[in-house]
Amino acid sequence: MSYYDIDDILADSTKVPCKFNCSVPGLGYLEGNAGHPIKKDSKAELPLWLARILAIIGAETVENEEEELPFVELMVPDLFSSRVLNAIKSSPTSLDVHSLSAHFYELAIKWATLFSDRRLVNVLNTMMIERAQEVNNHALSIPADSAPALQSGTFLLTLDEFEKRIFRDSHTSYKDMKSWMLRK
Amino acid sequence: MYGDLVNKLVLEAKRAQQLNESSKSEHLPMYQDDLVRNTLREIEQLKRDAELLKSQQELNQVEDKVARCQHFVTLLCMERNKRGLLAYQKLRSDTLDAMAWNKHGLDSVTALAAGEGADASLSHQEEEYLKDYTQIIADMKSGEFTDIDLSGSLTPPSDVFIDVRVLKDAGEIQTEYGVFNLIKDSQFFARQADVERLIQQGFLQRL
Repeated sequence: MSYYDIDDILADSTKVPCKFNCSVPGLGYLEGNAGHPIKKDSKAELPLWLARILAIIGAETVENEEEELPFVELMVPDLFSSRVLNAIKSSPTSLDVHSLSAHFYELAIKWATLFSDRRLVNVLNTMMIERAQEVNNHALSIPADSAPALQSGTFLLTLDEFEKRIFRDSHTSYKDMKSWMLRK
Repeated sequence: MYGDLVNKLVLEAKRAQQLNESSKSEHLPMYQDDLVRNTLREIEQLKRDAELLKSQQELNQVEDKVARCQHFVTLLCMERNKRGLLAYQKLRSDTLDAMAWNKHGLDSVTALAAGEGADASLSHQEEEYLKDYTQIIADMKSGEFTDIDLSGSLTPPSDVFIDVRVLKDAGEIQTEYGVFNLIKDSQFFARQADVERLIQQGFLQRL
């Protein structure tokens, strides 16, 4: 999650639905019609890098401290709706994470940090462990000598970027180990 | 909206990264001059917006809350663009560093121009940077650590003598340890330390 992390930057550009808590003139371009003010209670899809900050800093601060509303209110995106969470709970390995989002884990981490969402973290923990076992199985199966195509089936198509990296790393390490054992 | 342009740039960087990982060699695609320039123009515009907002704010201080939001969004957009640009450039310079370590520094540092395959795809500043970085490596190697070849092979030596086959005709080549007559498809039984450089340069193939 460093500043220069390409995957992190891409994950940050995911759009999340937001509701504006105050009307702001001049920000119409966020909604798609430039030149118009953005109305209170209107909904817009904002990229996470923008929404994350706007959801934290407040419109009113010192004068009336009891209602410190942030500029926008984040709404739960489809990605973390209870429908998806139920699907994860029922069978993590058969879930197509890639079609949900290419950066599912990174987004989930950001989301859970933003809301201190303990439930989400629990679900993700079990999901991660279950899927890691499957990833390990696939990484372990090395096709007979120097077959380039990975015919590990459709499971690999459902990995998100983070899991892909784990898969790639563990696969190469298994492969290197094997070739070292055989040739030397 | 703002930030979409730089997204394209980051995607480009991602593609380059994957290409490098899959082919296990350093390869730099064209420098995206247009995209970078357009992003810079966008930042310029955002800056003008921010200044305008600021002067407006000074004129009538009533709408502080709204102005703050606008100002903030503008700043965030700039921040985002900056991050994208920096990440793109960082990835490229990392690749350049790897190139400088792997390819240059071979033998008595050969002239830069000869070894450079990707010269055309570098921006002017990157060429400059590569040159300077190579110089830094050379300086370090000629400084304290002269008896260690820092840019040498990282695979631990396992054999003292190895069989090598010549892949390219190169005539007679003078190395630090003696003279080899490299004729295509001939074979040598040589000390590994002597021929390591030639293997790195692609004249020899290890058997």
